[in-house]
Amino acid sequence: MKEQLVNLDEFNMSEEELFSQVNHDSLSSEKITAPRYSYWRSVFRVFFKKKINIIVLSILAVVILFTYVYPLVIAYDPEVTPYINLMDGSSKHLKPGAAIDKFGFSLSWIFGSGDKGQSTFDAIWYGSSISISLALICALINMFVGVVIGAIWGFSKKVDIFMTEVYNIIANIPYILLISVIVLIMSASFWTMVFALTVTGWLGIAYFIRTQVIIIRDREYNLASRCLGTPILRIATKNILPFMTSVIVTLAATEIPSYISYEVFLSYIGMGLKDMSLGKLIEAAQNAMVTPGWEFEFWCPVAVASIITVVLYVVGQNLGDASDPRTHM
Amino acid sequence: MTKYLINRILRGLLSVIAVVAIVMLLIYSLMNRDQIFAQDSVYSHMKSNAREAYKMQQWEKYGYLDYVPYADYLKMLLQNGDITQDVYNEAVKFGDKASEDSAVVAQYVKEFKDYYESRGYEFERKDADMLKNKYKDGGKPYIYAYKDTPLITRLWEYITGIFRVDNIHYVKEDIEDRGLEFTLYDPVYGGEKFSPAIIGNGTQHKYLLYFDSQFPYIHQNLLTVRLGTSYSINKDIDVFETMTNTQGSYVYSTVTYPSGVVAEGADNLHSATYVPNSLENGTVVIKDRFVDNYTSVTANKNGLSKMGYSFVIGIISVLLAYIVAIPLGTLMALKKDKLIDKLGTIYIVFIMAVPSLAYIFLFKAVGSKIGLPGTFDVDSSSKLMYVLPIISLALPSIANLMKWLRRYMIDQMNSDYVKFARSGGLSEGEIFSKHVLKNAIIPIIHGIPGSVLGSLVGAIITERVYVVPGAGNLLTNAINAYDNGVIVGVALFYALLSVVSIILGDILMSLMDPRISFVSKER
Repeated sequence: MKEQLVNLDEFNMSEEELFSQVNHDSLSSEKITAPRYSYWRSVFRVFFKKKINIIVLSILAVVILFTYVYPLVIAYDPEVTPYINLMDGSSKHLKPGAAIDKFGFSLSWIFGSGDKGQSTFDAIWYGSSISISLALICALINMFVGVVIGAIWGFSKKVDIFMTEVYNIIANIPYILLISVIVLIMSASFWTMVFALTVTGWLGIAYFIRTQVIIIRDREYNLASRCLGTPILRIATKNILPFMTSVIVTLAATEIPSYISYEVFLSYIGMGLKDMSLGKLIEAAQNAMVTPGWEFEFWCPVAVASIITVVLYVVGQNLGDASDPRTHM
Repeated sequence: MTKYLINRILRGLLSVIAVVAIVMLLIYSLMNRDQIFAQDSVYSHMKSNAREAYKMQQWEKYGYLDYVPYADYLKMLLQNGDITQDVYNEAVKFGDKASEDSAVVAQYVKEFKDYYESRGYEFERKDADMLKNKYKDGGKPYIYAYKDTPLITRLWEYITGIFRVDNIHYVKEDIEDRGLEFTLYDPVYGGEKFSPAIIGNGTQHKYLLYFDSQFPYIHQNLLTVRLGTSYSINKDIDVFETMTNTQGSYVYSTVTYPSGVVAEGADNLHSATYVPNSLENGTVVIKDRFVDNYTSVTANKNGLSKMGYSFVIGIISVLLAYIVAIPLGTLMALKKDKLIDKLGTIYIVFIMAVPSLAYIFLFKAVGSKIGLPGTFDVDSSSKLMYVLPIISLALPSIANLMKWLRRYMIDQMNSDYVKFARSGGLSEGEIFSKHVLKNAIIPIIHGIPGSVLGSLVGAIITERVYVVPGAGNLLTNAINAYDNGVIVGVALFYALLSVVSIILGDILMSLMDPRISFVSKER
C-alpha cells in the first residue's frame, strides 16, 4: 500500500482547489442505491452465460421446428400413399442408402423406410408432435393442479391430515392398472391418455410441493410477516412462490421428459395410444429390432426420442438453476 | 415406540384395504365384464341360452354375482324337508315356455320368483330356442335368478378369505378317520428315514408339516395364503401360487407312492391335496399309485418361481447399485465441478432423461455384441444369462442413488457444523467420513427396505426384453387378459409391500440415527 501514497505537493494546487465543502443533503441520504435488478432478466443473463445452454437451446429449436412445422410443410398424413407404400413390397424395410437410391434424395429417406414402406423420418416427426404435445399438456395440467393443491396442503394442517391419507391410498394403486382401466373404459385416444396420466399424476407433484411449503412456511421471515398481519394469500404469492420458482422449474424439467418416456413405456407393454406416437413407432419397430439388417428402423425413433428427452431435460435443469436467485450474484 | 408402530401398521393395513376396494371398484364395477370371456374357448363354442347360463356360472365363480338356477332352489327346499322327492321330481321338469308348465311347476316357479325378487335378485326365464321341434344347439330353456355382489360383501369375503387355515372338516364327503397323525418317519421317504411329519385326513392338504431337502427345509401347508383365483393367466390357480410355484422342466427321481409302488417320477407327494372321487374316477396310473383321494400333486421342477427369478435378479442388482453408487456419489461430491463430477452428471442426465426402454435395448445390443446371452433360458445352467438383466436393473438405480447422495452431501458440506469442524482443525478426510457421510447417508438408508422388497415385484421392461420368467409382467399380462382375480391379488401384494417397506425404512432410519424418534418424549 505504501507505494500508492501520493504526495499532494506534486499537484501544485492550493488547499481550496484540492478540496471543497459538500453540504449534507438529507433527501439523497434517504435513497438506497442498489444496482437495477430485474428477476427474469437476471435469469436469462445467467442462463445464456453458459455456452452449453445456447447449443442445447438451438437443438431444441430445431427439434421443435421439425416436430411442429415439418409435418405441416409436407402435409403428412399417416394413412395416405406417398407416405406409405403398402402395395410395393420392394420399398419396405430399406436402409437409408437403398431408400435414397430407390426414391431419389430427399430428407424423408435419410432414415430409410419402415414395415409399411413408409418414410421413417417423416413418421418419427409426426409421432414426436403427438408425444411432445401429450407430454406438454399433461405436464401443464399436473404442474398447475399439483402446485395449487400442494400449496394448500402445505399450509393447512387439517387438509394435511386428510390429504396424507388420500396420498397413502392413491399412491399405492398400481399406476399401470389405473391407466389401463381408464383406457379400457374409454378408448385409447389422445385425450383419454391425457386424462389417465393426469387423474392421479398431480398427486406426486402436490406431495413434493407440500414438503417444500412446510419447510419454508415456518421460516423466521414468514413468522415476522405473519406477525405484521400479512394475509395468507399474500404470504403464499409474495413470500413463498418466489422461493419456489426454481423448484417448480426444475420439477417441470423432469416431468416433461418423464411423460414422453412413460408414453413410450405404455406403448411398449401394449397399453398406449392408438394414434401414431413415438411410443407406438418404437413398439411397431420391435420386431425389426430382432431381425438382422432391420435394427436401424428401431434405433431411429429410439434415438430421436432420447434426443428430445435429453434436450428438454437439460434445458429445464439449467433454467431451474438460473431461476434460483442465489446464482444471480 | 411399540404403540406407535402398531398404530402405523394398522393405518397401513387400512390403506391397503382401501386400495383393494378401489381396485375392485375399478375392475368389477367400471369395466365391461363381458371382456373376461375374450380368451375363453368354452364360451366361444357355446350358443344361445346355454351361453347365457355359462356366463352366469362363470361370473358367479369369479365373484361378480350370485347365481341361483331353479333346480338349486328346489334342491334347497328338498334338503330343508319343505317338499318331498316326488314333488321335487315333478316340479323340476319345467316346460319350454311358461304356458307349457304344469300346475305344480307354475306354482314353484312363482314361489322361486317371489322368494328371490324379494331379496333383490333379478329373475330370468329363457324360453327354449327351437328349430323345427328340436332344440337348437344350446337352446334348452333355463330359469334362474341372479344378483350382483355388492362391493362391501365382495371386499369382506376377499379379505376374510386371504388366510385359510386347513382343518379336518375341509372335506365335505363322508370319510372315515378324520384327524391328524404325527409320524417320525415320513412315508414319502419310504417310511424308514427319520423325518417328522404331520399328516392329515379330512384336511385339504395331506401333509401339513414336513421336512425336505429344499430351503428352508421345514415346510407347512397348514396356513395357505390365497390372493385370488386366476381366470385366464394360469387357470384356476391362485395368484400367490402362480408367483411362488417353481418353473422349468421336470426333475425326475425315485418316488415311493402311497400304495408302495416305486417309480421314476417328478411328483412332489408333499403337495398332495384332496380332490373328491379322484381315486375312483382316476386313470390306471392313479389307481395304481394312490390309496386315497389325495391325488392332486405338483411336479418338481428345476427352475425358480416367478418371484424367485425376480428376487435373485433384483437383490443382486440392488446390492451392486449400493456398492457402486455410494463411493461414486461421494467422489462426485468431493470433486465437485471437476471432471469426475461432470462425467457423473452426464451419466445421470442420460439415465434420467432417456426412456428406460431405449437404454435397456442399448445394453442388450452392446451385451450381445460382446457375447453375453441376450435372452433368459430356464433350463440353462449358465449363470451368464443373469448378467445383462442385473446390469440393466442396476444402472438406473446407481444413477438415482448417485444423484441424491451427491445432492445430500453437498448440502451437508455447506452446513455450519462442517465449517465449525473445519475451523476446529479436523482434517477433510475426517470431516467427510465421520460427519458428512454419516448425515448424508440417512435418507439413502430409508430407501433400502423399499428396494429390497421391491425386487420381489420384478421389473416390467427388463423382464420383457430379456424374456425372464419373473413376476414383473404378471400385472400387465393380467390386465391384458382381463384376469380380475390376478389383478386384485397383485394389487394387494404391491400395496402391502409398499406399506411394509415405508414402515421398515422409518424403523431402520431411527435405528441408524438416534436423533430421529417417532414418539414425542415427555419433557
